This record gives sequence, structure tokens and C-alpha cells, in this order.
Amino acid sequence: MDHKFHITNKRLDSLARWGITIGGCAVIASVLAILLQIVSVTLPLFGSASSEVVGRVSLPKAGEIMLLGLDDSLENGFSLSRQGNVSFFSLKATSNLKAGSQGSPVPLARPEGATKLIDASSDIPGQLSLLWDNGKAAIVRVSFDREEKIVTPRMEELFQDGPSGDGQPTVKVVGRALDQDGFRMVRLLADQRFSVSMVAVKKNVLGEEKQTRHNYMLTPVTTEKISAFVLDLKGERLYAGTESGTIIAWQLDDQNGRLLETTPAFRDRGITALAMVYGSESLAVGDNRGGLTVWSWVRSDPGSQVRKLRQLHTLHGHADPVIAIVPGTAGRSLLSLDSRGEIHVDHATSERNLLTFKAQPSTTIMALSVRDKGLAILNSDGTVTAWRIAMPYAEISLKTLFGKVWYEGYDEPAYVWQSSSANDDFEPKLSITPLIFGTLKGTFYAMLLAIPLALFGALYVSQFATPGLRRIIKPVVEVMASVPSVVIGFLVALWFAPLVEKNILGLLLFLIITPGCFVLFMSLWGLAEQRGLLRNFPQGQEYLLLMPLLLLVAVAAWQLGPLVEKAMFGDFKLWLFGETGMRYDQRNCIIIAFGLGFCVIPIIFSIAEDSLSNIPASLSAAALALGASRWQTAWRVILPSASPGIFAAIMIGFGRAVGETMIVLMATGNTPIMDWSFLNGMRTLSANIAVEIPEAPFKGPLYRVLFLCAVLLFLLTFVLNTGAELIRQHLQKKYGRY
Amino acid sequence: MNSISQTKQSKNNFLHRGEPWVWASGAALAFILVMIVLLLGVVVANGLPAFWPKDLIEARLKDGSRVLGEIHRREINGDGVATVQFKVGNRDLLGLDFKWLSQPEIISESRPVDAVVLERREYGNFFGYLQKTDGAKAVFTDAAGRIKEIALIDIIRSYRPNRMNLLDKTGLYATRLVELLWDEPRESNTEGGLFPAIFGTVLMIFLMSILSFPLGVIAGIYLREYAKPGILVTMVRIAVNNLAGIPSIVYGIFGLGFFIYGMGGAIDQLFFPQNLPTPTFGTGGILWASLTLGLLTVPVVIVSTEEALGAIPKGIREASLACGATRYQTLTRLLLPMASPGILTGFILAMARAAGEVAPLMITGVVKLAPTMPIDTSFPFFHLDRKFMHLGFHIYDIGFQSPNVEATKPMVYVTTLLLLLIVVLMTGTAIHLRNTMKKRYTLTDV
Repeated sequence: MDHKFHITNKRLDSLARWGITIGGCAVIASVLAILLQIVSVTLPLFGSASSEVVGRVSLPKAGEIMLLGLDDSLENGFSLSRQGNVSFFSLKATSNLKAGSQGSPVPLARPEGATKLIDASSDIPGQLSLLWDNGKAAIVRVSFDREEKIVTPRMEELFQDGPSGDGQPTVKVVGRALDQDGFRMVRLLADQRFSVSMVAVKKNVLGEEKQTRHNYMLTPVTTEKISAFVLDLKGERLYAGTESGTIIAWQLDDQNGRLLETTPAFRDRGITALAMVYGSESLAVGDNRGGLTVWSWVRSDPGSQVRKLRQLHTLHGHADPVIAIVPGTAGRSLLSLDSRGEIHVDHATSERNLLTFKAQPSTTIMALSVRDKGLAILNSDGTVTAWRIAMPYAEISLKTLFGKVWYEGYDEPAYVWQSSSANDDFEPKLSITPLIFGTLKGTFYAMLLAIPLALFGALYVSQFATPGLRRIIKPVVEVMASVPSVVIGFLVALWFAPLVEKNILGLLLFLIITPGCFVLFMSLWGLAEQRGLLRNFPQGQEYLLLMPLLLLVAVAAWQLGPLVEKAMFGDFKLWLFGETGMRYDQRNCIIIAFGLGFCVIPIIFSIAEDSLSNIPASLSAAALALGASRWQTAWRVILPSASPGIFAAIMIGFGRAVGETMIVLMATGNTPIMDWSFLNGMRTLSANIAVEIPEAPFKGPLYRVLFLCAVLLFLLTFVLNTGAELIRQHLQKKYGRY
Repeated sequence: MNSISQTKQSKNNFLHRGEPWVWASGAALAFILVMIVLLLGVVVANGLPAFWPKDLIEARLKDGSRVLGEIHRREINGDGVATVQFKVGNRDLLGLDFKWLSQPEIISESRPVDAVVLERREYGNFFGYLQKTDGAKAVFTDAAGRIKEIALIDIIRSYRPNRMNLLDKTGLYATRLVELLWDEPRESNTEGGLFPAIFGTVLMIFLMSILSFPLGVIAGIYLREYAKPGILVTMVRIAVNNLAGIPSIVYGIFGLGFFIYGMGGAIDQLFFPQNLPTPTFGTGGILWASLTLGLLTVPVVIVSTEEALGAIPKGIREASLACGATRYQTLTRLLLPMASPGILTGFILAMARAAGEVAPLMITGVVKLAPTMPIDTSFPFFHLDRKFMHLGFHIYDIGFQSPNVEATKPMVYVTTLLLLLIVVLMTGTAIHLRNTMKKRYTLTDV
């Protein structure tokens, strides 16, 4: 019995030992798990694009292929031959195309007298602009209709346009079918002029369509030969590039066209391909030396409304002349093909080279599927290879996250955080730099207030105050530390900020005259003491006298504020804006300094006070015995000995200020600007997470970038806390107790 | 001789002794204390009187009109004119609750004894005069003489503040306090009670404790009693300190990614596929918020457990082991009972921290208005997937997201006062416990 009891006990003991050891290790594991989890969410941001072959088909021998197309599920595609025949093909092993639609080419509805195509182009997937050999042009839509499991290909001629008026042969044509209200068609004629057809379609009450058509010519402004041209998405702007490197832009109005600009873009290269980047704000330019650049409209100088074409981005170039650019339809990615057959996929804003398809001799045709999911390439042997491409987070790179990026519509490269907007083709701007800046700025001002107050306060309590005071102050400060940050944030933002806004000069005066009053008070006190008047004032009670004095000064400054303002500035905020250009925000760094300061002071105070009190009493006793005054002892003996602990206190306080969320969320205004002015607000990393994460789609770029913000916060506080802890352990060894 | 007198003189010299610096450090302490007093003072001064029934003042203006309302503030505006802020209520008639009047415009102020205050279910308070009651309706006139019919069912409470004595007012104040603690909020949280928020906060703390306390205590015991000093212990300590130092919003986003989308998503796919794509556990809820806060408060418990165990004299352990007890017996029968006040301190501090923390909750399941409580009478009674309300978030929400800032102020201050009271009381208890415990062991220490 006794033996059994013993064994049970032993088992329990070892069980407990194991259980407890595992529990302890779980704590390290959980720290690592938190880090790993949040890092793992951010990692896909930096992943590379991928591609895989989904199918390879050989096309029926139907003459030269002019165009390829793919559907958005990457199951089916089509090709267009010079003879004007469309053949549909399936990329899957078992075709789901409607019976009979596959294999034999379907002739397009051709205008009278037309035998073959001169030119065909498609810069929107599924919308084809065709030019027939009799000069007629057409816009044709090719689509795949899915019903149950059967896919029916459809072709529909949307618009047809007669030959240009004055008998000049057409070289190339680009057409646009607008959603509701008409068509645009631009022909480049052999004499270098453009013929523009603007067709507006209006439906009357009975549902009858009425077309109004305007034709006009755009005469060339240079003698250079036009080598490429492109129409923007709405058909409102026409861009042409010449063999000598000039970009010409026109505004196409209903009745006539207006020359916007002639930009000599390159001196040493000719333009070979043009395309509109998604969103239709920027122009992608390919040249005969293989360069690929992105241009957009930028205000020529900050004050004016005149916008000029400027080069914003230079993408990863080719070795050979670029012959075609296909813009993405889901994002700002660009497909470019050079004359040797190499294909690049680049992102216009992040300038990332996402994918490169090795040169295939005589590849001249490529097509991108709707929503940029796949790519079709025509090989030299007449087969078509379809690739599935994945370009997750193509718009994110280290440069867009941390560097200056020149976004469309901006006058210069800038650090911008703007995650969402009302329109669909808005480009999210996710630069973390202004957030890091905001975090450091807020923390800086908070520490400016907190460090001196907390350290001097701790020094006073540990060295000069009576032991009784210490017993009271420590719990008071602990209670201060326990005040929820939401309470501090609320008071600071809704009570203190409006108060300061009304009387900013009162606060500034308080900060200025307090030291002055202190000096005055000290000299008076010193004089009085020298006369032997204040011998009985108890040491260690100074603060009790100072508290009402401080309040007195504060009240005086507060009352003086409006008077001074009236006498000297009239309206201080107006004066400030007029004189220095600084704008006063209600929620600014002064407010933050007090709010964050209130939250950080007790932390710095407690740790610093602990390390100051833990300095062996023998040290101060020795110093005092040698005749040092109490200040000299504290300043030259105690403080240096406790300096590692004080350093640790500051680091931990810093870490707390960096990560504090509610106070900055409530009291900063949350504007992601980069401005050192202490009268502005800011947005910090932590507040940014709180503001944005409810609206961030799961696993979207914003979601992951917010996790990246969290990783940065984690790493920052990790470094600070680990440093502080190492110092603390070092101290513990040094003094043997803590 | 000369040199000695010089030293003596400089020693007496106030400046040279560095006395001003001592005073400066005293001033820093004074500043900190003033800040604390100011914070508590502002909350108490604005929070306590928020529910005190104020007298109704009728002001006659120069243009002949009358304004009836409570005076909230008197202030001198930018042009040097004295102004009075009236709370005029009657949002349905006047549009705005508050009105600024300049003092020179007011001819006289009086306290009409018949003036009635109605607390209503909609449109805030009504100030006016009772004309007649008519079955389920009552007819009132406002200060301008406009007639307003109000269904009795819409009236929560009515009183004539100008007729009430101190005792009546105290009674009303007490009823309102009870209402605050036990009633549902009204008028998008700006009126009524805080019960769902208090309940949510308490339940969340309770759930958090279930996770946080055992884990924290076990880790603390491991560190103090079982671990052999070495690199591992150093690492654990660093880990614990880091856990304590990680910003709470990082815990929040971790909770979102790991608990909600990770675990919650998996639970949904396994057990609630019929509801998808509407998430059951794959969205913020009280369980996930509690787990997140549990993780956040673990280091507090660890540190205090360790300290409590460390304060027990070594002799006690040695005596127990020498008597033949195993380590486990020593732990459960001696050390843990002795350390219990200290561990309790840690629990209370952790709970106080959880009560005040808002940022991680905002992204893991707190809402401004939860239609249902996490515990109710419908099966299975505990609904851990439900969203909940929280006092701290309540402050943020009504203070910052409300369209009528002025009207919400009393409620925000009251909520703030309540939260502050809870947190300060908890922290105070913890500190008191710790201090008494310290005394106990330092006295018995040999």
C-alpha cells in the first residue's frame, strides 16, 4: 500500500515535471508562432509570378494567322486568318465547345468586294478591329457563351465603316465600341493623316436606334513617319508614335480633334508599339531598341493646370525592338513582345518584371485572356501554346512599399498611402514609409515629454523623497499605468484637443514661462535660504509646494493666452499660416505628446525607479559621507550606476509608445502625411491597422500589407524589448538582486 | 584655513549643491501628479453629474421668443460676448439638442415650476408643459407654444425638476444609475443603459481567464521551480518579456489571421458547411476576442506567478523536500497556497488589462450594437460565435462615430467613469494584495 502510494506520487511528480516543462516551452513557441503566422501572411506579397502550360493545339492550315484570342476560363480560344476566317479551338482534352463549332473555320461576315484582311488588332480581349482590302473597316466581338457545360462561341459584327472619304488607302485601323453610346474608329491613311469617325448611337422612346456620325481628319504635325497609334478606352484620346521617337496626342471631340501635345520623347530611338495601361491614364511605349516606358500626364509646374506627357516609369527592357504591347485588363500589367519572339510581363507601376517567356523564333502573335489569367502564343510550327499565368500582388514590391513611386496623376514621385477610392480602376497606393514616419514622429514628441518627466520624477522619488512618499507614489503610478488607453485617447481628443485649439497660445505660454518662473522661484528660495529663513522646510516634501505653484502658473498662462494672442497676433492660427505656412490641426503632435506621454510615463517611471532604488545603499552612503550633496550623489553616483536600467526603461517605454493604438487612433486625425511640423497630425502603423483592416478583403494586397505593418511593429518592439531584457539580466548579475 | 572656509561657503551655496535640480525633479513629479489628478478629475467632474437632474430654465429673449432648457455651459466667446449653452431637447421639433444664446439677448431667466422633462424612447428628451392627458396620449406645449402630442408608451420617465427637492433628485439619480447598469442602450447608444456592454466585458474577461490563467501559472511555475538556469530559461524570459511588449494591435491582427480566418474558417468548413459562405465562426466573435486577449494577458500572469513563488523563502522548499515530499507535493501543498495571493494579484492585473484593452477587440469581434447576447435562453445557451459589446469600445464608438457629439458627451463620460472605476478598483485591489503578501513573507523570511 505504502509502496503503491509512493509510486503514484513519483508518477505524478514526473508527469507534473513534463507537463510544466511543456507548458513553459509553449510560451516560447507561442511567441515564435505569432511571428511566424503574421510573417507567413505577408510572404506571398513578395512571391514571384508563375506560369504553366494549360494546352497546346495545332491550328488548321488556313493561311497566315493575324490574331489569337482566349476565353477567361482558359478552356477555349480562337484564331483569325488573313482570309478573314475564325477558327475556334479547345485547350482541354475533352472539348466543351458546342458540336460543330470546332475545327472548320467560320468566315467572318465580309463587306462587299472584300477578299482578305489587311490589318487586324485587338487591344481589348474579344473586341477585334478589322481592316479589309477594299478599305472597309469593322468592329467585331468574339465571345464564348457558357450554358451548363456547353460553350457556344459567338461572333457579332458591331460596326462597319466605309472606306475613307478622299480615296487614300488605309494602312491601319483601331476601333472602339463604347458601352452604350456609340463607336469610335481611327484610320491611319497612307499619307500620314488620321481619319476619325465618331458615331453616337441614341435610342429614342420607341427603342429605335439613331446614329449620328461625324468624320474629320487629323493632319500630321511632323514629317516623321507614324509607326504606332493607340486609342484610349473611352475613345477620347488618340496617341501616335513616330519612327523618330515623337509622341503626338490628340483630344477627340465629337466634331473635331484637337492637338494636345507633341512630345519629342526619344532622340535616339523610334517608337514601335503603343498601348494604354489599365485605367487609361498612362501610355506604354515600346521602342526599336527594346525599351519599354510608361508615360502619363503630369502638371508641368505645381501652380498651373497645364498637363504634359512625362515619362513615369522605365520597365525591364528587351534586347530587340518591341513589336507589340498588350495591356492587362485586371491590373496595370503589360505584355510586351520583341522581334526575336521574347515575351515579357511587367507591372507598369511597381516596375517589376513578372514573367519572361524565352524567345521562340518567329513568334509574332500573342494574346492575353480576360482578367489576365492566361496567355496564348503562336509558335513557328503553327501550334498555339496557352499558358496559365498567376501574377499575385504584381503591384507590390519593396520599392512601392518603402520607396518613392510616381503614381498616375501625381506631379512627382512620392510616398503615398491611399488604400481605397470610389472608382473601380483606382490604383491602391500602399507606401509604408509615411506610416513609419508618423509612428516615429508621434513617438518622438511623446518621448520628448515623457522621458524628462518620468526620469526626473523617478530620481526624486527614489533619492530625495521620504520613504513614506515612495510607498504612496508607486501604487499611484501603477494606477496611472492601468488607465485604459481608450480613456486617455478619448479625453485627449475630445476634452484636451478642443481646449488647446481655443487657447493654443495659453499652452505655449505655459511651456515657455514655466522654466522662467521656476528659475525665479529658485533664486528667491536660494536667497531666502541663505538668510536662514527656510531651515525648517522638510527635505523630500518639495513637490508638495511645487504642485500648487505649477497649477498657479498654468492658470496664469491660460488666462494670459487670449490676451497675448489679441495683443500680438490677432488670430494666432491665421498669423501662423500667413507667416510660416504652417497649418494648425486640432489633433496635432502636442495633443499626442500629452496623450502618449501619459501612457508611457508610468512605464518609464516604474522601471527607472526600480533600478534607481536597487542601487546598493552603500554607494550613496559613501558619497554622502565624503561630503557630496544629495544632488551630486544622485547625479554622479546613483544615476550612472543605474544607467543600464534607465536605458532599458526608455526602450520599453519607446516600444509601448510605438505600438499604442487607441490614443493615436483617436487623437491624431489619421492623415498619412510626411511633415515634421508639430502642429500637424500623422498616421501611425498601429492606427493604420485598426483603421484599414475592417475593410481589407481577406488575402487581398491591403490585408497582407497590413500584416506587414504588424510584422514591422513586432520586430521593432522585439528588438527594443529583447535589448531591455538583456540589459536587465546583465544588471541582475551585476547587483545580485532585483 | 582660507580654502576650508571657501569649501564651507560653496557647500552652503544653494546653487552649487544642486538644490535647484532637486527641486526640478520634484517639479517633474509634481507635473505627473497634476496630470493624474487632472485626468481623474475631468472624468469624475463630467461623469458624476451627468445624470443629476438639472433645473429647467426658461429664458425670455429680446425678440420676444422663449427658450426652455437646461443650462450646460456659460462661456465668453471669441468676440468677448458672454454666451450660454442651452440644452433645449425637443429634437423632433427643433432639429438640434443644443443652442448657444448670447447673454445680452436674454431679458430674464426664470424657473417655471410646471416645466416637465420627458425621457422618451425616440428623439431624446422633451422639455415643455403638460396641457392634458388623453387616454394613451398626452398633449404638451413647448416653450414657443407649439403643441406636441406624445403617446404615453413612448415616455420612459417624466418629472418636474424645478419642483424637486434634493431628496427627490437623489432618488432620480439613483434610479438612473440602476438603469445605466441594467438597461439596454437607446438612440444609437447615446441614451439608456450599458448592460450589454458590461455583460460583454465581463463574459469576455471570464473566457479570457480560462485560457490565460492556467497557461500563465504553469509557465510561471516552470520558470521558477522546474527550469534549470541556462540558455533556455533566458530565452523563455526574453520571450515572456516580448509577449508583454508586443503591441496589442499586433495581437489583434494575429487573432484575425490565426483564430478567425484560420481556426474559425476551418471550423466552419468542418461543422457548419450548410451556412457557408456566411461565416459562423469564421468571423469576429467573443470566443476569438477572448482567446486573443488571453494570449495578451498571459505574460502578466507569468510574471506575477514567478514573483510570488520567488518571494517564498528557500527554507520552506528544502524543509518539505527533506521530509520526503516530492516536488509535486511541495508545489501543490506548500508553494501554491503560499503564493496564491501573489498569483491572484496577477489574475486581477490581467483582468484589469483585459477590461481596458480595445484595439485588438475592434478587429476580433466587438460591435457597436449587438442584437443578441452571447448567452441567452435559446439552445445551446452559450453562443461563443456571437459578436459582443464592450465598455471600452463603447467609449470609442459613441465618442467618435456618433453624429451628435454634443448630445453623446454625458454618456461617454459616464461610460468612461464606469470603466475607469472598474479598472482602478481592480488594480488597487491587486496592489493591496501584493503589498500585504510582501509583508507576510518578508517578515517570516529567515
